[in-house]
Amino acid sequence: MGKTARKPEQPVEEFLPLTPAMFHILLALADRERHGYHIMQEVQERTEGKVRLGPGTLYGSIKRMLGAGWIEETEERPDPDMDDERRRYYRLTDFGYRIASAEADRLDRLVKSARVKKLLSKTQVSR
Amino acid sequence: MIASQTGQPPLATLNWATQVYCLLLRGYPSAFRAEYGTQMAQLFRDCYGAEMKRGGRQRLALFWFRTLIDFIRTVPQEHLDNLGKENSRMKNSARDAVALFGCLGIIAVAFFLLRYGLKHETSAILMFGNVLDALVVTGLLGNLIVFLLVKTTRLDPVRVALWTFLILNGLPAIVLALVGSRIDPQFRTTATLVGYAASFLFWFGLHWVWSQTKGRVQPAS
Repeated sequence: MGKTARKPEQPVEEFLPLTPAMFHILLALADRERHGYHIMQEVQERTEGKVRLGPGTLYGSIKRMLGAGWIEETEERPDPDMDDERRRYYRLTDFGYRIASAEADRLDRLVKSARVKKLLSKTQVSR
Repeated sequence: MIASQTGQPPLATLNWATQVYCLLLRGYPSAFRAEYGTQMAQLFRDCYGAEMKRGGRQRLALFWFRTLIDFIRTVPQEHLDNLGKENSRMKNSARDAVALFGCLGIIAVAFFLLRYGLKHETSAILMFGNVLDALVVTGLLGNLIVFLLVKTTRLDPVRVALWTFLILNGLPAIVLALVGSRIDPQFRTTATLVGYAASFLFWFGLHWVWSQTKGRVQPAS
């Protein structure tokens, strides 16, 4: 394991809402560890090219999330033979996973409210 | 088409673009650059290479535009972040200085009052004289010990202050209570004990309040 920040003990709700960039990064790391370029590609593919994280946004967010203990650097490399050794891999910590889940729940509740107010169906109809 | 016949982006163009981006990176704070500069340059190179493979000057121009927007948006953010850390460091130093000068100020006032009392032969009002004696002596010695221990070890400042002032006030109080009246028939045991108790409460209280204030303002980094 690489550099790991302290484990925060505050309730996860205090950190919500997350910035879109942070949530996208946490989502990208939810299923496996990835390096910067992988995170960027995953976000781009998942959002059909609508969200493109620049290097400054990506690494600025990574810096903050490492400092807050939401993600950690890992020295385990999925495929060392195929990989550039200079790349740094990141993965979610338990706390980061809880934050990502809480944010997903918050967004889910928001979408449910929008559905109740017929906002969602209107959008779908117009499409 | 910018991509070469083999499907690989021309290395010279890729290197040139990466060098330009490395120049841009100098806009970020040095600490951030040292930590993430290489990764950012690598990321830029990967993305630029991918855009070159897809081909089209328009695509590359758009990529440069997006990179510049990202640069303009994140550079001030990182500098502000850096400034925040510097400020908290400065605030901690400023608080240390205020504490030091505050203690020196209190000791100076106590000395002045003591000197005035001696010069004008003012009899102690209630136990004021005894309290002042204890405050000055234990304040001078105790604060020096606490300051040195806190700065040179990793001991908890409040615990250091508690034990230092407890020993410095407790020992003379016990010794004087036991032998004071034998040496000086006019020795006032109660006043002396109250003086040292007040001195302990004052100096330890000051350190405790100080630690509470420090704990609230320190950054949660």
